[in-house]
Amino acid sequence: MKFTIYQESRIGKRKSNQDRNAYCYSRDALLMVIADGMGGHLHGEVAAQIAVQFIVQTFQSEATPTIADPVIFLSQTLNRAHSAILDYAFDKDLPEAPRTTIVACIVQDGDAYWAHAGDSRLYIVRRGHVVAQTRDHSRVQLMLDQGLIDAEEAARHPGRNRIYSCLGGSHAPQIDFSRRFALRDGDVIALCTDGLWGPVGDIGVIRMAGSNVMASAPRLLDEAEILGGKTCDNLSLITMCWHDDEQPEQADSVSTRTLALNDFTTRLDTFDRGRGATKEFDLTDDEIERAIAEINAAISKYSK
Amino acid sequence: MPPQANSPLPTGFQLEQYRIERQLSLGGFSIVYLAYDEDDTPVAIKEYLPNSLALRSEGDIAPQISAENMPAFRYGMKCFFEEGRSLAKLMHPNVVRVLNFFRANGTVYMVMQFEHGRTLHQYIQKHKGEVRERFIRAVFTRMLNGLREVHSHKLLHLDIKPSNIYLRTDGTPVLLDFGAARQTLLTGQAFLKPMYTPGFASPEQYGDRESLGPWSDIYSVGASLYACVVGTAPPRADERSKNDTLTSLSRTHSGRYSEQLLETIDWCLALDPLARPQSVYSLQKALMRKQPGEAMPATWFTDIGTRLKSFIGRA
Repeated sequence: MKFTIYQESRIGKRKSNQDRNAYCYSRDALLMVIADGMGGHLHGEVAAQIAVQFIVQTFQSEATPTIADPVIFLSQTLNRAHSAILDYAFDKDLPEAPRTTIVACIVQDGDAYWAHAGDSRLYIVRRGHVVAQTRDHSRVQLMLDQGLIDAEEAARHPGRNRIYSCLGGSHAPQIDFSRRFALRDGDVIALCTDGLWGPVGDIGVIRMAGSNVMASAPRLLDEAEILGGKTCDNLSLITMCWHDDEQPEQADSVSTRTLALNDFTTRLDTFDRGRGATKEFDLTDDEIERAIAEINAAISKYSK
Repeated sequence: MPPQANSPLPTGFQLEQYRIERQLSLGGFSIVYLAYDEDDTPVAIKEYLPNSLALRSEGDIAPQISAENMPAFRYGMKCFFEEGRSLAKLMHPNVVRVLNFFRANGTVYMVMQFEHGRTLHQYIQKHKGEVRERFIRAVFTRMLNGLREVHSHKLLHLDIKPSNIYLRTDGTPVLLDFGAARQTLLTGQAFLKPMYTPGFASPEQYGDRESLGPWSDIYSVGASLYACVVGTAPPRADERSKNDTLTSLSRTHSGRYSEQLLETIDWCLALDPLARPQSVYSLQKALMRKQPGEAMPATWFTDIGTRLKSFIGRA
């Protein structure tokens, strides 16, 4: 697999960041996931954290190095993540289970599969046109589908943040699944939370999700943050540009060809500062060997 | 208890395919050796050996690490890997090359290209107060080519100082030592604390690490430029933040050096990160211009061109 990926979450003008995002890849499969913990309910960030962490861990145990069936994987993992949140609420005696939206995407064998609950979105942009996108589980989206309001009214609708499906909470989630989607060279998959798509709209995401994701993604975040203004919500974005294996190596692209079969690269952003360092204190012999192998691989790669 | 000095590996010691010749330098974090590989090519080998955590007595080969220090030792090793990772990706005539990385004697080793020459620090010591402007501009403009490469890989050096700028015999500079810098990024670890040299570290490195950026390296470049002119490092940035005793060079050293150079140095040494040059390129432009409006010497550009060509030719 060859792709370029960018991931960032920003706090906006809020006091805390309840968005969580992560990507993780084995040699032959890539997972991207974004969760937007719901404010107004207790511990939104906890729900988001549990969901993302659970999905990443499950991916790591099942992508060996491919996922047997991505659709079943998404269905089982998202439902179990929902149960994990309920379990947590039960363990901690919380009056209600925390809630989070979710959108997760698996790429393997050049095909993408995704699933979502709530209003965090996925877009696939091909040469500046959107070729696939998720439909929010929101009343506004339903009204839009029924022709009761138009896009402009939807963007200003006072109930536009209300969603009827999420992980956690008191109801079982309604999860939508995509079909298998064959990726082409240069396709960009963008996952984002409402803090991002809200201010810039579909058009903004599509216009700015260029194939040079390392440059376009931060610009898109900047723009959403500026348009978000004084009440800017947390905003998160993962954009991934897919490259054909035959394409020459690009500066920031990731090629998983040299990744060991049981190896994973994971990036999970959490926002509790000052921990982290001590948590990873211990370095096992295995990790040392792997670090050395990685450095030597880089040396030989870059000296040729 | 002052940390003990570790004894180096003995001359003639066969470390994998390398034969140790002698110790080149001893730091708090590592020992650097001159060694020869099987083709008798000289290399510099850096041995991870933090003296506060690992002890190697005279005659020993493997250092002794107490069980209690082991997690910290391993943690520091991670920092050493970070340096290896950063350097392995960089291939630039003005940045030191890493050739190999391996594990032996209970610790890890990084093999680097050996360069003949001396550090800018040694040069300043020898020519105290007599470092010529032309020399300063030439060395720094080229060294900054290397730093630009570092920044373009989204890395920061964070320990730029004259003793980490190596001058080859032909006068071209090489940027060394990315290790001490990296580990300062991982805060809160008392045992590996300040490896950076006071005076050259930016104010952000002492306090608000969130605002670290290319401008922090630029502060250190400014401090190194300052050292070339004055002969010593400027006052520590953390003390300057409380009570700034730095007087601008354009007031104290005008005459010997052009106004534009002194102003550029003052610019880099601004305490406010935003008041400094924001990119290496903008600093380079300032260093390549003698008087406002005067063009930069063509040779420096052609020089970059030919180096680039030889670099590509090798690929």
